[in-house]
Amino acid sequence: MEFFLEIILNLVGLLVGLAIGTISYIGFKNTGSPTLFRISIAFFAIGIGFGILATGFILDDFIFKTGDINRGISTLGVASQTVGYWFIAFSHTIRTFFPKSRYFRSIGVIPLFFVSFNYIENILRAVSFILLVYGAIETLISYIEGRKKTTLFVAIGLGLLGFGEFIGWYSFVFPETILYVFSILIKIGGLIAIGIPVSKIPFRKISFDENL
Amino acid sequence: MTEHRTQIKIVGEILDTATHEIDEHEGTTITHIIRKANISHGRLSTILNNLVSQGLLEQVNSKRSYRYKTSHSGREFLVAYKTFREFSDDFGLTI
Repeated sequence: MEFFLEIILNLVGLLVGLAIGTISYIGFKNTGSPTLFRISIAFFAIGIGFGILATGFILDDFIFKTGDINRGISTLGVASQTVGYWFIAFSHTIRTFFPKSRYFRSIGVIPLFFVSFNYIENILRAVSFILLVYGAIETLISYIEGRKKTTLFVAIGLGLLGFGEFIGWYSFVFPETILYVFSILIKIGGLIAIGIPVSKIPFRKISFDENL
Repeated sequence: MTEHRTQIKIVGEILDTATHEIDEHEGTTITHIIRKANISHGRLSTILNNLVSQGLLEQVNSKRSYRYKTSHSGREFLVAYKTFREFSDDFGLTI
């Protein structure tokens, strides 16, 4: 049941991510806006991340049958998603993320060689959670300023993704409970809410008034 | 607090002014664009030259002064700009 839900969640994520990424890229090609370029990178990374996770779950379900996703694949998927969330947060003007000092930058990479995939995945999930909360708050502030309903949906979507991640942590503490399924359902709801702005893009050729 | 406008937003406002505020055949004046798009003359001149060279604006010869009107591709750009401005607004971001 949980595997099946995970596959659905990740396929929905792949679909929503690629749809928003593609539309943003079309927007960037038409207008040259760097903001749209950042949104396209963000959602392509998020979509690819979900796609990698979906592949991992499908491979295990149909081929390996170990009952758990391969940690390497899982870490790669989560890392790709984290990159996407970072670009969303960056678009809300995070000025500096990495330390400027060359010394700190060099020692900042070293721990990655000493910790297991499991630890890296947990660290990335924690970073994703923080970025999602930041993105949700910034988007909510934009909604308060502009009062656009779709902005509220995106804020709620990012918030639900973060909340789903948070509930997912509790399922480590209380395994075999409904919490894990609940967290997946919350995340699916979040992805659908984020995908709402796509439905407003006109997919028809725009004609012009000849009298203009 | 004043809002920082990106270059694309300024271009959008200039094209919007040159589309909707025109004397149909003669185009709109620089003074009118300055007033509507709220931009300095020096900065506007550079942007207008770029827009004309890219084919988004047409320079109309007039006896008294230079006038500008939005070209067909300028209107296409304006429609795309407005669509994707809405789209980025949905994500709480400025285009």
